[in-house]
Amino acid sequence: METTPTIEDDDSSIVDVVPNTAPGVLRQVRQSLDPVSVIVLVAIAIGAYNFIDWSQIGTLDFGIIIKFWRPLATAAGMTIAITAAALACGLVIGIVLAILLELRIGFLRYVLNAYIEIWRNTPLIVQLFWVHFGLPMLTGISTTALQSGLLALTLQSSAYLADIARAGIQAVPRGQWDAAMALSLPARTKWLEIILPQALKVMIPPLGNLAVSFLNGSALLGVLSVGELMTISTRISDYTSKPIEIMTVVALIYLAINVATTYLTNRLERFAGAPR
Amino acid sequence: MKLFEFSEVVRYLPELWVGLRFTLLLVFASLAIGTVIGLLVCFGRLLGRGLLVRLCAIYTTIFRGIPEAVLMFWLYYCGPLLGGVRPSSLMAALVAMSLYVGALLSEIFRGGILAVPRGQAEAARSLGVPEFWVWTSVILPQAFRIVIPALIGVAALTVKVSGIASTIGVTELVFQANVIGGQSYRYFELFTAVGVFYFLILFPMSMIAKGYERRLMTRRK
Repeated sequence: METTPTIEDDDSSIVDVVPNTAPGVLRQVRQSLDPVSVIVLVAIAIGAYNFIDWSQIGTLDFGIIIKFWRPLATAAGMTIAITAAALACGLVIGIVLAILLELRIGFLRYVLNAYIEIWRNTPLIVQLFWVHFGLPMLTGISTTALQSGLLALTLQSSAYLADIARAGIQAVPRGQWDAAMALSLPARTKWLEIILPQALKVMIPPLGNLAVSFLNGSALLGVLSVGELMTISTRISDYTSKPIEIMTVVALIYLAINVATTYLTNRLERFAGAPR
Repeated sequence: MKLFEFSEVVRYLPELWVGLRFTLLLVFASLAIGTVIGLLVCFGRLLGRGLLVRLCAIYTTIFRGIPEAVLMFWLYYCGPLLGGVRPSSLMAALVAMSLYVGALLSEIFRGGILAVPRGQAEAARSLGVPEFWVWTSVILPQAFRIVIPALIGVAALTVKVSGIASTIGVTELVFQANVIGGQSYRYFELFTAVGVFYFLILFPMSMIAKGYERRLMTRRK
């Protein structure tokens, strides 16, 4: 997740390096339809024709989506809201944790590192169950499904974001720290007006990746029936016994949200003028 | 009722072991199939032209953008559509995870190959090295070295994703814990134990990846 390298440029340099022998018009044709891609496309088409049961596809009834569009739209909004809330809380906690780590207070560092490693190295679904069933036993406070779902998402995102924030803070050039020190700026001004704004810029691309992976993760809240997209869609598909149509549309909704998130992150990155 | 009854975990260890075996099966199988898919898609995108490149890019976008839980459900229910057989839950989970891992790995392989300095391939070609050897002994070894930490990251992510297979009823670790918890009301102990299991698998992986990354950084400086 966090180690996935992001690729900024769309055109690959290797393609240019591969010697291109076809000149002129021929090259133009090859660029849209080269033999390999034609063969692959034909193979896919033949495979799809033999593999897919076309008589079954005829019985699909996507009208059901129009009938249930209102609950689906509400649930999609809920998914976005839950993810955004968890990421926002996680961002605040994560930045605080990163600053505390950067202050290098001996004993506290081990505690914070342990916190981060524990939440980063266990699956979200285990954390969900653990928070939902475990916390009431530990603290005596019983949480609703929504509360425990939000709590688990926030805890995990805070751990990931602490790591991202730490990397962002460390990416701020040495000179900036020295300048703040030379001007003997108070710690508050140093952090809020010099270090953090620059660190936040660096954090945008990994934050976008994290947003996508947490949107995907929020589908897991369906196991606690929180009332977001996954819960509602399984409920509708149980009620109407048309799981294929509902699941297809739900997958497309998630895809659309994720593509939009990626696009917005790219715009934000360009807007902020993040150094590359 | 004691807060943490450790003996309960010990009592159900055989069941959890069954779950752990299914988890490992899912992880290794989907990593193997995903590597093949990832390589195909990556080279389709780097060496192909026109339509093929677009097709590979669409594949990556789709399978990175759909939540794994939704993908598993979809494959599980759409069995009658595809090939006319209802897949077992294990099959559906395996296919879904392989597609997801393939999409992630294709991006990582591509990133690694593009990160190899262009001059390396150009120098080899200008020395008259055959194209096959340019790839196998110049580009790929260097790309592989760059990509190792990210590969470990994907493997760790696969372990985490395998827990989602419990939602469609694959009897892996989380599912077993849920079932036993339902019988004995020992959710807290069981999920703590399962969390510890996952942590013991994932923590060494992330430490190795971090150490390797640090070594790579210092070498580059």
